[in-house]
Amino acid sequence: MRLPGRTPFERIESAIIVSTLLLLTIVCVQPLVNLLAVSLSDPARVPGMSGLAIVPRGFSTDIYALLMTNPAVQRGLVNSAMITVVGTILSVIATALMAWGLSRPGLPYRRAIFVLVLVTIVFEPGMIPDYFVNRRLGLLNTYWSVIFYKLVNAWYLIILVRFFEEIPKELLEAAEIDGANPFQVFWMVVLPLARPALATITLFYLVFRWNEFFRAMLYLSDPNLWPLQLVLRQFVIEGDKLAMVGVTDMNAYTGASAIDIRALKAGMIMLTIAPVLIIYPLILKYFTKGTMSGAVKG
Amino acid sequence: MTERGTLAARTAPAVGNLPGSLSASRSAARRTGPGRSARARALRDWWPYYAMMAPGLIFFAVFHYLPIWEARLAFQDVRIIPPNIWVGLKHFEVLLGSAVFWQVFANTLIISAMKIAFVFPVPILVALLLNEVRSGPLRKSIQSAIYLPHFLSWVVIAGIFIAALSPSDGVANEVRGFMGLEPRSYMTDHGSIRWVLVFSEIWRSAGWDRLLYLAAILAIDPQLYDAAEMDGATRWQKMRFVTLPGIAPTIATLFILNAGMFLSADLNQVINLSNDAVRSQIDIIDTYVYRIGLQTGEFSLATSAGLFKGILGMILIVAAHTLSKRLTGKGVW
Repeated sequence: MRLPGRTPFERIESAIIVSTLLLLTIVCVQPLVNLLAVSLSDPARVPGMSGLAIVPRGFSTDIYALLMTNPAVQRGLVNSAMITVVGTILSVIATALMAWGLSRPGLPYRRAIFVLVLVTIVFEPGMIPDYFVNRRLGLLNTYWSVIFYKLVNAWYLIILVRFFEEIPKELLEAAEIDGANPFQVFWMVVLPLARPALATITLFYLVFRWNEFFRAMLYLSDPNLWPLQLVLRQFVIEGDKLAMVGVTDMNAYTGASAIDIRALKAGMIMLTIAPVLIIYPLILKYFTKGTMSGAVKG
Repeated sequence: MTERGTLAARTAPAVGNLPGSLSASRSAARRTGPGRSARARALRDWWPYYAMMAPGLIFFAVFHYLPIWEARLAFQDVRIIPPNIWVGLKHFEVLLGSAVFWQVFANTLIISAMKIAFVFPVPILVALLLNEVRSGPLRKSIQSAIYLPHFLSWVVIAGIFIAALSPSDGVANEVRGFMGLEPRSYMTDHGSIRWVLVFSEIWRSAGWDRLLYLAAILAIDPQLYDAAEMDGATRWQKMRFVTLPGIAPTIATLFILNAGMFLSADLNQVINLSNDAVRSQIDIIDTYVYRIGLQTGEFSLATSAGLFKGILGMILIVAAHTLSKRLTGKGVW
């Protein structure tokens, strides 16, 4: 590798900077590679395996086979998929339509609506009132309670409004003169032009929905409705071994000698992050273009 | 067509007002006589937009404004047979007289302060260092890797940290072993659990939060670097006198905004990294609300705690926004 710098001293500096960053890179990625290696190892050889290991000991997919036959995991996958897919579609539609209206400078009460949206960012009455609203509407123990949580994210809404406002007025006018109604202008002019921004918020909603666990914990007391994150939480955070191998009595489990709880936890974590890893290249493609760089963390 | 209708059509703004141009003249033709207020006319012209915005508007009304009305529970006693009875500030008095609440309040402030002191500077450092990497592909690969943790849920991150910090087979204790140190159970140790929060937050956000500084770095005039170069500035001098001043306003803004979030301290993180052994150290307002509200069923007390936090938080955020706007010209929104 050719390091920049004119003098030997500057080259050493470069080397120090690059190695610091590479160390950070390793710290970010190694734990995941380790979990993957542990989950793919021969379960009998997992005990004593180093946390630094990045290569499986032997090779076996038994852990994944066991996880995939566990009814709790199967249900978790279905529930997560439902909440994520339906939630993301509804979120993107509702956010884009609202942003389109708010991006029109002449919209009556535009300022008032903006203020009301901002108030929701600044003031949150807390989780108990949220819970009671869901209870009053009969949404507890339904997917809807989780789907409606942040259905329209105020930050993404504002980002999209700003993006729509950038669309050249001439294009919108041309469509109007051709006789397009506001919805047709939105559908045929605005959406195609806003594709990068829409892709970005779609990915954000997808990740947010897939990762959401607290609202599910709050609203879904029925374990049959739990998304994968809650199932993972039950296994890994609360250490529920029985649920983990899918039995109610550990003594009745005949395969106990062949499985390793650590490998099972590792496999469960990998299973839960797999969808995020799959769309991660897309995330890199869209997010890092800076569309979100003006957004505040949170 | 009435005199007024044609006038409206003729004087409609030509730019950037959809109903004002074409659709307005159409509806103007339908308009009958004077007497309609301008407001009614505007609403009629704009109704398609309101129809499209309806799902979003209804969402905000039901899931953001209805809860504000629902928060009246903080001023009521819940009765099994409605209606509840109004009790004024009783629950707030109980709350503010409770030692547990103040412990939780103090924990929240301590954890937030630790995060501002130790987590906040890391992305700045990463941004400065990454800016020094001239090779495009190398910088790209480093970026791609360090953003990743941001997209993992706290359940997953907690799982990773619990595994890495395990006293029996975790990496942390393996490394301690190399150095000849006794194993330590970081997750159950009163002295270390808050640092686990700090480090896991660094792990999650250091790479991604650096993006917040990227725009500011890219906006620095390259001529400044050339000029510094000509004056014989070293790399560190350029970093110190060109890059750092360039991103200083962004640092100030983000610092103030972080301060505005002081009462949150991240519920999702704490609830997953917490356990019975260390609960007293990292119990924050939000976990307290969850516990006494939905686990113990003291709805009114929990609502009053949540409302207390919401109101203080609002004051903090608005103050942060105002301050940020005054000092750096950039606010929260």
